[in-house]
Amino acid sequence: MELRKTTVRQAADAVWKGEITAHQLIEKTLKNCSVLNEGLNIFTYLAGIDAVEQAKAVDQKIKNGEKPPLAGIPVAVKDDLCYGVLPTGLGSPAFSEFISPVTAAAVERLMEAGAVVIGKTNLDDMGQGSTTLSSPNGPTVNPWLAGRTAGSAGAAAVATGVCMLAVESDSGGALRQGASHCGVAGLRPTTGRVSRHGLNAHCSSFARVGITAFSGEDISEVLDLISGFDERDAATAVCREGISEIIKAPGSKDITIGYPVTAFDYLEPELREIFEQARERFAEGGYRIEEVDLGLLREGLLAYYVIAMAEAFSNHARFDGIRFGKTAEADSLEEMYEQSRAEILGREARRRSIFGAFLLSKDNYGRYYRQALKIWEMVRQEFETVFERCDLLMLPAARSLPRSLEGESGFLEGWSEDLYCAPVSLSGMPALTIPAGQVDQLPVGMQLVGPPFSEKMLLAVGSASGSTGK
Amino acid sequence: METSAAGLEKAIKAIKIGLSLPEQDHLHRELEELLGWLEPLLAFNTGETEPLLFGHEAVNVLREDHPQEGRLAELQEAAPNFAGGFYLVPKIMD
Amino acid sequence: MKYEVVIGLEVHVEMLTGSKLFCSCPNRFVAEPNVNTCPVCLGFPGALPQLNREALQQALRAAVALNCKVALYSYFDRKNYFYPDMPKGYQISQHYIPLGSNGFLDIEDEKGELKQVGIGRVHIEEDAGKLLHEAGGASGGSSMVDYNRAGGPLIEIVSEPDLRSSGEARRYLEKLKSIMQYAGVSDCKMEEGSLRCDANVSLRIPGDQSFGIKTELKNMNSFRAVEKSLDHDIKRQARILDSGEKVVTQTLRWDEDRQETIVMRGKLEAGDYRCFADPELAPIELTAEEVELARQNLPEMAAERARRFVEQYGLPEYDAGVLTASRCLADYFESCLEHFNKPKEVSNWVMGEFSAHLNNAGLEADQASFTPEDMVELLKMIDEQVISGKIAKEVLEKAFVSGKKPRLVVEEEGLLQISDQSELEAIIDRVISENPDTVESYRGGKGKALGHLVGQVMKATRGKANPQLVNELLVKKINS
Ligand SMILES: [Zn+2]
Repeated sequence: MELRKTTVRQAADAVWKGEITAHQLIEKTLKNCSVLNEGLNIFTYLAGIDAVEQAKAVDQKIKNGEKPPLAGIPVAVKDDLCYGVLPTGLGSPAFSEFISPVTAAAVERLMEAGAVVIGKTNLDDMGQGSTTLSSPNGPTVNPWLAGRTAGSAGAAAVATGVCMLAVESDSGGALRQGASHCGVAGLRPTTGRVSRHGLNAHCSSFARVGITAFSGEDISEVLDLISGFDERDAATAVCREGISEIIKAPGSKDITIGYPVTAFDYLEPELREIFEQARERFAEGGYRIEEVDLGLLREGLLAYYVIAMAEAFSNHARFDGIRFGKTAEADSLEEMYEQSRAEILGREARRRSIFGAFLLSKDNYGRYYRQALKIWEMVRQEFETVFERCDLLMLPAARSLPRSLEGESGFLEGWSEDLYCAPVSLSGMPALTIPAGQVDQLPVGMQLVGPPFSEKMLLAVGSASGSTGK
Repeated sequence: METSAAGLEKAIKAIKIGLSLPEQDHLHRELEELLGWLEPLLAFNTGETEPLLFGHEAVNVLREDHPQEGRLAELQEAAPNFAGGFYLVPKIMD
Repeated sequence: MKYEVVIGLEVHVEMLTGSKLFCSCPNRFVAEPNVNTCPVCLGFPGALPQLNREALQQALRAAVALNCKVALYSYFDRKNYFYPDMPKGYQISQHYIPLGSNGFLDIEDEKGELKQVGIGRVHIEEDAGKLLHEAGGASGGSSMVDYNRAGGPLIEIVSEPDLRSSGEARRYLEKLKSIMQYAGVSDCKMEEGSLRCDANVSLRIPGDQSFGIKTELKNMNSFRAVEKSLDHDIKRQARILDSGEKVVTQTLRWDEDRQETIVMRGKLEAGDYRCFADPELAPIELTAEEVELARQNLPEMAAERARRFVEQYGLPEYDAGVLTASRCLADYFESCLEHFNKPKEVSNWVMGEFSAHLNNAGLEADQASFTPEDMVELLKMIDEQVISGKIAKEVLEKAFVSGKKPRLVVEEEGLLQISDQSELEAIIDRVISENPDTVESYRGGKGKALGHLVGQVMKATRGKANPQLVNELLVKKINS
């Protein structure tokens, strides 16, 4: 069975029917992973024997007459999501051997459904970035074009066909840009839909747990499994009484797609073309297109970074070398803090912590932080206004093609890549990246953004619009 | 208002990360860049908008008061410096 | 003194919940370090806080019991600073919007008149762990951290600078303790740390509108220590001002052994805590009805209970006031009554001997090994004339200290009352023959003389004689 040509549903069916055992499927996957990993640097840890044991347990369940919905499906888990069996590296050199006492809620739910964790995937320094360029393990290579970043290692794992699903975090757009750069589908869910228990968030306000897969169809197979109230994450209380989904059938005049005309001005001309073509395809497909105004993208990006840095300053404060991680030999408490934290936090994490402390100080709180909170509210309102007239909104996922692995560019250049993703994070609304086209042999993705709890509509529209990523 | 250098110095003190002087200088240059980058944020007229504090709409999420045993046995494994039931830190002079 | 004293108190009380503020770890003292910990209260990556419903209810009760305006919308902030006892590198607290504000409580001022003391804020926050600095041993040159208390539920109660003497400060604390105990929020045992108090104190010339430069006092482990350290610092500040110098803003620590305040070294300068709303928790919304309901459902407070004691048990107002000043003592009293329904007798013993021993030992009524059952046993022995009242005092003291049952103490010490007529008659005969003059004066009509003779008999029996029987027998013998 070739996973790249198979849907999650087909693969699980094959395992149910005994056409292939979960054990066989996982053995093969592990072999592929270790081969691919040498060139692409996707995994920080491969599960090996543990994955085999999981697979055998799934086979046993099937023998007992159970039908786990994700029987034997290989899943990659981003390394900022805790999984108690493998180390949780967090993107810090000091955590390479850290075994978390916690397992992330989303991972737990997928495993209960029969999925098998294959390994942990690479990420930026403390999960902060959309390139993996700041990873202590070195960057993940784009499977489409060596020499370019993959954006996210989970997307690379799915694009190469070694895994069918990846559980990933997304704050400013890592998951969505990774999917765009690797030509796969990636869903960032509505705030509160998926529990973040077990996610080491650098930015609690915007971090979400999402799913990357070959297609929207595959994501649809797992969305319900990982959705819903979890008392360990307060934000999921909005799902306590169940979820009222917004569902509309694709391809009908019932669905209006918002087209933010001026938003595309920030793109290179060859990328801009892709979105004009996508607009035409949607129109031909029977959707109504409505031009809308999204004037706050730039301010949204800046507000996102102010808030993200402030929260990183505070969220990273727990890394003090006392209860977990590594500690430095030191004669004084002050020295212990300084040396331990210098070992734990890499360059990006230091930068954000320090600038966060600067922006939250008495002198700057009002000018920067509070102002960012106001812009957050304005961006939220702007998206809300768009969805008064539209059912969904199309946006690029990234400003440019995946970055080169060589040559250092300024940190602000990197951050500016989040122009289309970060404001969506501020809105709290769900966004699905799907492949939209190709430029220079590299895939280019598009975000479909919808109102809260419109994931099923986004996935239906995304699946129908045809993936070109495979 | 204090200079960015003074503010940066306080910020570095506050986060307790040992940084070399060249690294501090480099951060200062980056901070200047950042503040330039953020200028449109300050210039933006937010009018009467109330700041948004929470990205989620949950309120009154409350846990029932049922105590459960602690989990020290699992947790102490992760500690770099643990002995006699205690987490150890360099001697603090009072 | 020519200066006016200005005192404000910051009090932390530990709430009486089963679990901690944001996790399910037990909220109770255990000697073994770090056993009451979990990923949440140790700040492990990926662990999120979950607010305890009961803690919110108790804090709400505290706020309404202190006559506060309750915020219908509030939330938690992070107060960011590093210290090894603070696992996440921040304390979850309510900085911007406290649950309660603008409250007050009433105390008696120096002239014995009623005085309202303002309460600026009542807010919820989490406790820190505990640091131990021991030389040598397993820890070598290290300090040791115990996180059992980290994440425990606290309320901080900040008074306005309305207190004008150390006595007022003590009475404020006593009143606050009584209210928190009666509201079922905290047991407020300062010696055990479930009530902690910091004080700000400054002096000014009477009539001045602005405040003087204040000092902060810490590490006071009893109400007496608060009073003494305030007195100590007030005198110190007055001396400085008298000599024309200026008081310096500083933090001082009360040294119980040396009975003086000492400047704290290495104390963080008033930091910039970079507070912001904790995005991992949900805000708290209350309705006016919920707040009103909490107010109506407040348990009986000290004054009400005292009134009830007067009406229900016919106690003098004085007794009722003393007994209800501490909820524990009032509970103790009522427990005794359940099995020995003579309120005034119980009151005399609880207020008198029992309280005296509590004070000496620095204990609350519920901490004494001498339980209400023991008290009832003692009172019944008096009632049944097994022992005299005088012997009972001795028994109470011995039982209080040793933890033995009163009846056992009586048996072991041979304190049983002598009611055996023949045994007593022999002693009485001897007393009569040894005191012929006194016997004569009694016969001559001096009634008081009999008391002297009874005294002699009691002395000879070391108080164990049944006084009533002695009286009867003496009269009979002398008149025969
Ligand atoms: Zn805990």
